[in-house]
This record gives sequence, C-alpha cells and structure tokens, in this order.
Amino acid sequence: MNLLEINSITKRYGDYTVIDGFSLSIKNGELRCLLGPNGAGKTTCLDLISGRQPLSGGSIFLNGVDITSSNEHQIARRGIGRKFQIPAVFKELSVMDNLEVAYGKEKGPFYNMFDPGNSSRNKKIQEISELIGLQDRLNVISGVLSHGETQWLEIGMVLMQDPNLMLMDEPTAGMTEKETYKTSQIFNSLKGRHTLIVVEHDMSFVREIADTITVMHMGQLLAEGSISEIENNKKVRAVYLGTEGIH
Amino acid sequence: MAYITLFAILALVPIVFDDSFLLNQLSRYSVFAMLAVSVSLVWGIGGILSLGQGIAFGLAAYGMGMTMQMQFQDPITNPIPSFMLTNELEHLPLLWEPFWSTPLGLMLAWLVPVTFFVGFGAMMFQARVAGVFVSIMTLAMLAAWYSMAYDMQPFTAGFNGISPPLPFSIFGVDIDPYSPLAYWICIGFLGTLTILTKLLIHSKFGLIVQATRDDAERARFLGYNVAYYQVVVFAISGFIAACAGICWVMVVQYVSPTSLELSMSVSAVVWAAVGGRLSLMGAILGAFLVNGIQSYMGDELQQVWMIILGFIFIGVVLFLPKGLISIFEYIFSIFDSKIIKQSKNQTENEAL
Amino acid sequence: MSVNFFWKAFELYPFLNALFIGLSLASIWFIAAIGLAIIYGTMGVVNMAHGEFIMVGAYTTYVLQSLLGINFFICLPLVFIIVGLFGWGVERTIIRSLYKRPLDTLLATWGISLVLVQAVRLIFGTSPLYVSVPNWLNFQIDFSFLHLSGLRLLIIIIAMGLFFATWFLINRTSWGMRIRAVMQDKEMASCFGINTDHVYGLTFAYGAGLAGAAGGLFGALKTLFPDMGSGYIVEAFLVVVVGGIGLLGTVFSATALGELNSVFSYFTNDTFARFVLFTLVVVFLRFRPQGILTDGLKRR
Repeated sequence: MNLLEINSITKRYGDYTVIDGFSLSIKNGELRCLLGPNGAGKTTCLDLISGRQPLSGGSIFLNGVDITSSNEHQIARRGIGRKFQIPAVFKELSVMDNLEVAYGKEKGPFYNMFDPGNSSRNKKIQEISELIGLQDRLNVISGVLSHGETQWLEIGMVLMQDPNLMLMDEPTAGMTEKETYKTSQIFNSLKGRHTLIVVEHDMSFVREIADTITVMHMGQLLAEGSISEIENNKKVRAVYLGTEGIH
Repeated sequence: MAYITLFAILALVPIVFDDSFLLNQLSRYSVFAMLAVSVSLVWGIGGILSLGQGIAFGLAAYGMGMTMQMQFQDPITNPIPSFMLTNELEHLPLLWEPFWSTPLGLMLAWLVPVTFFVGFGAMMFQARVAGVFVSIMTLAMLAAWYSMAYDMQPFTAGFNGISPPLPFSIFGVDIDPYSPLAYWICIGFLGTLTILTKLLIHSKFGLIVQATRDDAERARFLGYNVAYYQVVVFAISGFIAACAGICWVMVVQYVSPTSLELSMSVSAVVWAAVGGRLSLMGAILGAFLVNGIQSYMGDELQQVWMIILGFIFIGVVLFLPKGLISIFEYIFSIFDSKIIKQSKNQTENEAL
Repeated sequence: MSVNFFWKAFELYPFLNALFIGLSLASIWFIAAIGLAIIYGTMGVVNMAHGEFIMVGAYTTYVLQSLLGINFFICLPLVFIIVGLFGWGVERTIIRSLYKRPLDTLLATWGISLVLVQAVRLIFGTSPLYVSVPNWLNFQIDFSFLHLSGLRLLIIIIAMGLFFATWFLINRTSWGMRIRAVMQDKEMASCFGINTDHVYGLTFAYGAGLAGAAGGLFGALKTLFPDMGSGYIVEAFLVVVVGGIGLLGTVFSATALGELNSVFSYFTNDTFARFVLFTLVVVFLRFRPQGILTDGLKRR
C-alpha cells in the first residue's frame, strides 16, 4: 500500500480552478519532488494534503485512511509535518522553546501540564540544533533571526516533530550554496525512514535529492518520472525548464 | 523568588499595621490583582483579549452574594430576602433554593462561571474566532449578562444589588471584612493562584499556549488541537476571576450589576497592561499601584488622575507593550550583563 | 415563573408601533455604526472610542447651540467638521503607529475613550445637559398605530439620506474609489500611487465626523451625560460585525437588529430584549463570522 494516495483532487476558489483532477501516489520512504511554474498549484496541493484548505473534489488517503475531511491537527498527528513557503516559527519564543514545542507525541493539554520533560528530549534538541547550526543561539528569541536562520529553525522543528511524511515547501529559498548542499545531505539521510515531498525551484538541488519528479502545470499533472526523463520531456521543457534543460 | 518575597511581605502587613480600614483596602486590591492575573493569563500568555473576565467575576460574585444572603435567612421565620418581598414574590425562586446550603452555594459560585466559560469558549474557539472578534464577542456577552442582572429584579435585586446583612460565615467562623482573617484569605487566594498559574506557564502546556498565541496555524500543523488549548486557558482564567468575585463579596458584603459592568472588565485589562501583561508580578503590581493611587487621590484629584491614567495606558500600549515592569527587567538585565562582564574580566585576570 | 410574567399578549396596533420604533432604532444604530463600519472596513481598526466621539459631538452641539446660539441644523455639519478634525488628529498621532497591531489599536482607542469621558466630566460636570431641536420639530405623530416624535422621523430620513450619500461617495467618486482600493489591498493601492496614509487619515476623520454629527442628533433625543457613549458602542459594534464589511451589510444588520430589539422589547421588556439580542448575535457570529453579506472575504 502506498503511503499517500491522492485521487483526482480538485480545488476551486469560486469560479477559479486551481487544481483540476490531479492524482499522485507516494511510496513509503521515497523522496518526491514536486515541480512546476508559479501558479501551477504546488503549494495548494500541499495545503490540501495537510488540511489547510478543504477539497472541492476527490480524496486523499494516508496509509489507507481517508483524510479528506480531517483538520490540520488531526492530520499532523497521523504523521504529516510541513515546512511552509514563508517560514513560520513562534516569534516570541526562543529557538529552544520552538524546538521543544515541536517535540512530543502527547498533544493533549492536560498531559502537557504535568510533563516534566526528559533527557531524551534535551538530547534531541541539542542534536537538531547542532544539525541546523543554531546550537549557540538556543536562547535567542526567534523573532530576531535572519531569514535563513528562520528557515533552518523551521526545518529543525519538522525534524523534532519527526513525522512519517514531511512536506517541504521551497526549503532552500534564500540559502547559500553551502547551505543548500547541507540541506540536500539532510534530506538524503531522511530517505527511507521518512517520506518527503519537496516543492522546489532550484534544479541543482532537485538533482541531488530526487528519486522521482512530478511536474504540475495549471493544476494538472504534466509529467512524472526520473530526473533524466523529466529533463528530456518536451512538454516540460516548453512549459518550465526552457529549451536548455537543467543546468 | 520575587513572588515569595512579595507574598511574605503582604502576609506580614496585618502584624505590622493595626488599621482595619487599611486591611480591607488591601483585601480589595488583592481581589483586583486576581482579576489582573486572570487577564494576564488569558491575554498575555494565551493571546486572547477577553473583555469579559467580568462575566466570571460577576457570576461568582452573585453566587457568593446569594450564599451570604441565605446565611442570614431562616427557613421558618424569615425565608425570603426582603428585596424579593418588595418585588411581590411569595416564594423563594427555584434559582435561589440551592443557596440555603453554604457548601453548595460556594460550589455553584465557582461552577457556574467556569462552566459558562467552557461552553462560551468552546463556541468561539471551535469556530476559530480570534483577535478583535473575540474581544467584541466577550464584550457583547458581558453586556448581555449585565442586562440580565439589572433587569431580573425579583431574582437579583436589580440595580440596587444584594446586600447580605451579615458577614460571611464558614465552619462556624464569622469572617469580618475588616479583619486580618479576611485579608489573609484574600492574600492566600492571590498567592496560591499566582504560584499555580506561574507553574502552569512554565510547563509545556504554558509553552504550547504561547505557541498558539504566536502562530495558531503553525501549532495546528504540529498536531496541537488549538481550540482545546484555548478553551482550557480561557476556563482557567475564568476560574481565577471567579475566585476574585467570591473574595470580593466576602470583603465588601455587597454585589450589584456593577460587577458586570464593562468598566470593571476593561479596568482589569488596564491594570494588567500597565503593570505588564506578560508577567504575573507585573499584573499584580499594576493592580495594586493603579488602585492604590486612585484611592489616595481626593475626589477632585481623582478626575485628573483618571485622565493621567488614560494617557499612561495609551503610552504603555504604544511604547511599552510589555508594561511598566519591563523597565525594571531592562534595568536588571543591564546589571546582570555588567556583573557577568565583571566576573569574566576577573577570571581572565586570574588566568593571566 | 409563569409565562405571563414575561410575555405580553399580542395586539396588532401596539405591535405595528413596535415595528416603527424598530425602524427608528435601526436608523439610530445605522447612523451610529456607519462611521465605525467605514473605519473598520477600510483600515481594520476597531475604534473603541467611537461612542465617545458621538458623545463629544453631542457636547459640542450643546456648546455651539447654547453658548454660541447657532441653529441646530447648522450645528450638525459644524460638528461633523470639528469632530472630524479631531479624529484626523487622533489618527495621525496614535492610530498610525499601531496598524500592524489590531488588539493594541483596540486598547489604545479604549484609552482615548477613557480620557475623553474624564475630560468631558471635568469640563462640564456630571449634571445632565440638553440639546434642543427647533420648535417646528417638536411634534408627535399620533396616527392610529403610529406614535413617533418628529425628531425620530427626522433621524430616519437622515439615515436614509446618509446611506445614499455614502453610497455615492464610495462608489461614484474618485475618492471613494481610492478608499475601495485601499480596502482591498493596501500595498497594491500604494503601488498605484495612492497615498494610503492620506486615505487612512481622511477615512478616520470621516468616520469620526459622522460619529460627531450622530452625537448632535442623538443629543437631542435624551439628556447629555459623559457616559452616554457607552450606550451606543456595543450596539454599533454588533451592527458592524453582523453586517460585515460593506454599506449594504450595515444597513441590513442595523435594520435586523433594530427590529429584533424592538420586537423582543414589545413582548418582554427592554433589558431582557437586549440580553436575548446580544446572545443571538454571539451565536450568529460563531456560525457566520464574516457577517450577513460579505462572502467569505478574509476577515481582518
């Protein structure tokens, strides 16, 4: 059984159709890149999967369970985590607090009133903060971090959350080449244990990480396949890559 | 630790001063401080600007007033409060029956407001009402309850209010509003509630609530049922406000629709804002300070003071959103870093 | 508690009269709310001092009328300008710095309302004052089921006139177009060369001026006292949130709320009616937070 099954989903805003009969299957442990020009519907697709927007048609199954009408926190608990296009962190809380909030399997208020915290949590915070390069900034209020650091923090939070399926929306936006490379290393290490859907524009990054690529255009599936298949696909070149291919 | 110092100082007051009027004043201030703490919790920590904390305060106050009134009544010789007789009621209304029993009355005084807050909160937060809309809804609900209390004269004595003739009596002890006992009960409530709330804020629950304040959507995507958290924090703040209402009537022996007035609820917000909404200590000091100054102004100065308070409030909102206490915190942090620098220099010198 | 305790029996003529009173209430609430609606709709600002702007308008009318002997009908536009200028000043100094912080705006405007009430108290004292209408308005319509004072009739007429005037202003003038552009998207509007600061300042002034003029009218209805603003603010808020962002919505909600209040009032009494009305609004908002007519536009 596939981890994620998206069956012919549609999303309309009034008369305007953003996604039109789009289908997708993701296997456990794979890393799928979702590509396409701006306005193709990639972020909307992530919105629909994570429950941020309701579907206008079609259905979505996670591990065989219908999550079409579940709301955000239910879906998150089922094991989907998300990193947003515009990094979303808790601005009045410190870096460490942000990571702490993201951690924990128990999500109910009363349990958390009495949760004393434990060493494995602290260890993980240390681990992840080193991975994202913020180990010296743990007590800094996250509102003052730079854009790049905020990106990293959000990635760190998703790692702390440790969900089965990770939705990453333009994770390398605003990153340097070195940082992009580091991100690709992290993502590659996550493959297998975790499943990832990555929306990206940076094609060299995509080349480093992608198993399979799905290209969207105008809310529909344009092409799907390995990196070389996509590169050589005429439709994709016409619409998205330009005739020179991937650099 | 500053909290313990504060409460220790407050507890010692009756021993040092023998002024029963002062004790009663300070008891009233501690009630206001409780209200400010309730606002600080729901707004500073929870990010929910509720203008209706007065609902819990007022409902609990009426519950306490009814309990105290019924302590005065006797089932055989004097079963009906006089204001009801004036309103031509012949039997005690069903609503009042439970208040014959003091324990039951007290329990209702807590239970009714908290239950209302749970229900009202659930209704708002499930629908993801947020920001100014919450403020307006709590405002409207408060106005609705005010109308009820004002209007249902036979039940609530209308705008005259209920004045139980005797002080509150429990476990056979009469609690004179001007006594150290009443004072210690109020301070006791304030201290206990404040410390428990502080513990709550520093727990993971508190952290998650602050997260929902900063970015509710992000919290949802981490798996937290934000509406549930909001209802819980709202209900706890209602509980604190209810405690304040109960202590209030114990201390002033009177309850009227004034407890449900908008000015009471908004004043609580003013105290918390001026003192410091993110800090319980700030909220408490804000309540004591503002009310203290207000009482010590004569009648004429009082009018001017209200204008000054208005300007201070505007100033705090514009320039010092964390309240006056942030000034102290800033000064302390400068000292702290100076001390750290000094000891660093020392150890460097020693190493050389 | 028997049923008769609450409910009066239904009689046609008094009931129809109640409907007309509802219309009068609706017109009052519409005039009170329209300034608030425009400010909220354009700027997302919840002006807690709106009731006090009304009150200041009433007191200003009093001053103009009794101390300067100005005719009632000339007072109204004068008060509009005076309170409008005052509103413009408030916007420039206080509101301007708080645009990204709606809750703080609510609180700051509350602070302004506190200051205004106290200032008026200091200047005028608490004894009730009166604004009087010209004698020819002092008539009472007593026609079968209709009992309405001349002033209330005037208010209904003014409300209708105000509706058309505002509609014209917003939809048919270039100024109104700028307001609509800023309402939709402030950043975009400024990219097109619209001076958004200017628009905000003048919009706030317009809303404040309307409140002031409303105060002049309402001052004649009852006596003036410093707290009188609080009698309008909650109702005005409810009209605005129930009506949603939009002129038509404000009209509908003012009418609906006014009539409902009057009808409940007829069957029970005024304060209980208020309780039921407010509770209904709270429940309504839970199910339709965008208001009666707005269709799911982003709520500020």
